[in-house]
Amino acid sequence: MKKVAVLWLVGWLARPLPAQQFKFNLEHLEAKASDSVDVSLNGSTLQFAAKFLDDKDADEAKVKKLISGVDGIYVKSLSFHSDGAWSKADLDSIRAQLREPEWSRILGFKSVEDGETAEVFVRTQNKKITGVAILAAEPRELTVVNIVGAVDLDSLADLSGHFGLPKLEPAPAPRPKKQE
Amino acid sequence: MDWFEKELSRALERKDPPRGFAERVTARAAGQGGAPVETRSGRPRAFGLPRWLPVAAALLLIAGSGEQAWRRHQGMVAKQQVMLAMRITAGKLNHIQTHMREARQ
Amino acid sequence: MIQLESVEKAGCDFAELVREHQSMVFSLSYHFLHDRDKAEEVAQEVFLALHRHMADIKSPDHAVSWLRKVAVQRSIDETRRRKRRPQVALELVAEPAAHSPSRDPLLEEVLRRLIATLPEMPRAVMIMRYQEDMDPTEIAEVLDMPLGTVKSHLQRSLALLREKLERRGVGDR
Repeated sequence: MKKVAVLWLVGWLARPLPAQQFKFNLEHLEAKASDSVDVSLNGSTLQFAAKFLDDKDADEAKVKKLISGVDGIYVKSLSFHSDGAWSKADLDSIRAQLREPEWSRILGFKSVEDGETAEVFVRTQNKKITGVAILAAEPRELTVVNIVGAVDLDSLADLSGHFGLPKLEPAPAPRPKKQE
Repeated sequence: MDWFEKELSRALERKDPPRGFAERVTARAAGQGGAPVETRSGRPRAFGLPRWLPVAAALLLIAGSGEQAWRRHQGMVAKQQVMLAMRITAGKLNHIQTHMREARQ
Repeated sequence: MIQLESVEKAGCDFAELVREHQSMVFSLSYHFLHDRDKAEEVAQEVFLALHRHMADIKSPDHAVSWLRKVAVQRSIDETRRRKRRPQVALELVAEPAAHSPSRDPLLEEVLRRLIATLPEMPRAVMIMRYQEDMDPTEIAEVLDMPLGTVKSHLQRSLALLREKLERRGVGDR
């Protein structure tokens, strides 16, 4: 009976996935991972989940607003016990897909000393946002996120201050350059 | 142990975490209940379902709770997955924003 | 008849493990990082990881050694992440008001700060030895390190800390 129940639940949740907007290509790293998170949620699952998000809870209300225009959320996060489990080629195979014309990189940093990189890409079509990709790499962790659909970037940026994360104060405005 | 090692032991005595730590952790763990957990084989379970979930689902059916309870149960699973995804996304964005601010300073 | 499957083995209830080992995990992180806020964050992460791996925990003793190992690993990871960030000044942790007259809280604080300046692996070895009262063999097993290396870290760290204390005018008693 338990196996049948599992099949029913898996069957319901495993309806055909709308495509992620790019392939993560990280399956070969899963066997090496000490810890992995794999989330794949299509539009109808998101709409269904939204009904159970509590408007009175600050974090849940924030998420409910964010996912209202979203058609899919895909997250893969792998942690490793030691450095060197993933290579630059693993990241490059994802970046190559995000060099397609509809994608633009809007944020990114690289720390050579810490061996960290992180980038945020936005997909647009007819001047409207149709997707977001986040690629974050540390020596022992690799995370890829694809949010498909009309993502409100302000709401996404505003996630700091929720989930126990510190609220980041707005950066001071850059000083105007002196005119020579 | 000489006096120095005794001092080291005293200096490194266990300290209690801040009040409410256990409650906060247990609450967060409950929130990540839908997260994929590695099986003994090392592969994440499909769709990150906690082990108790299929049994709970079967029990609901047997108890004759009906479709409403089943849907509520499915909804909670889906909600946990959404919150997990957003928690990870928020963490990464926060990390990026922190670095960007430090770079500007 | 359906048999209920329990993810909780006898003696391995998650909430109970948190209550029982929160001081151990928090202290491992705190003594490693010397930053109370970061130590709490790391300690939370360790328990959340435990929650995700409950199925792999074979016994209460296994839970203890698992927690020690992961607490040290995550503390080391946090140290590496902090290298580029503005360093938080090493804080003075308030000592309890009532303590044995034979104790020297200032010396204890100096020692904690000095330990926090040790390289990562020697630091981990020292904390496990003197916080957890583990013997070198146990430490070698948890840190997956040769026994000889553990002993070497202990010897050198003790010598280094003694020397640093002496420079501060605190010699042998």
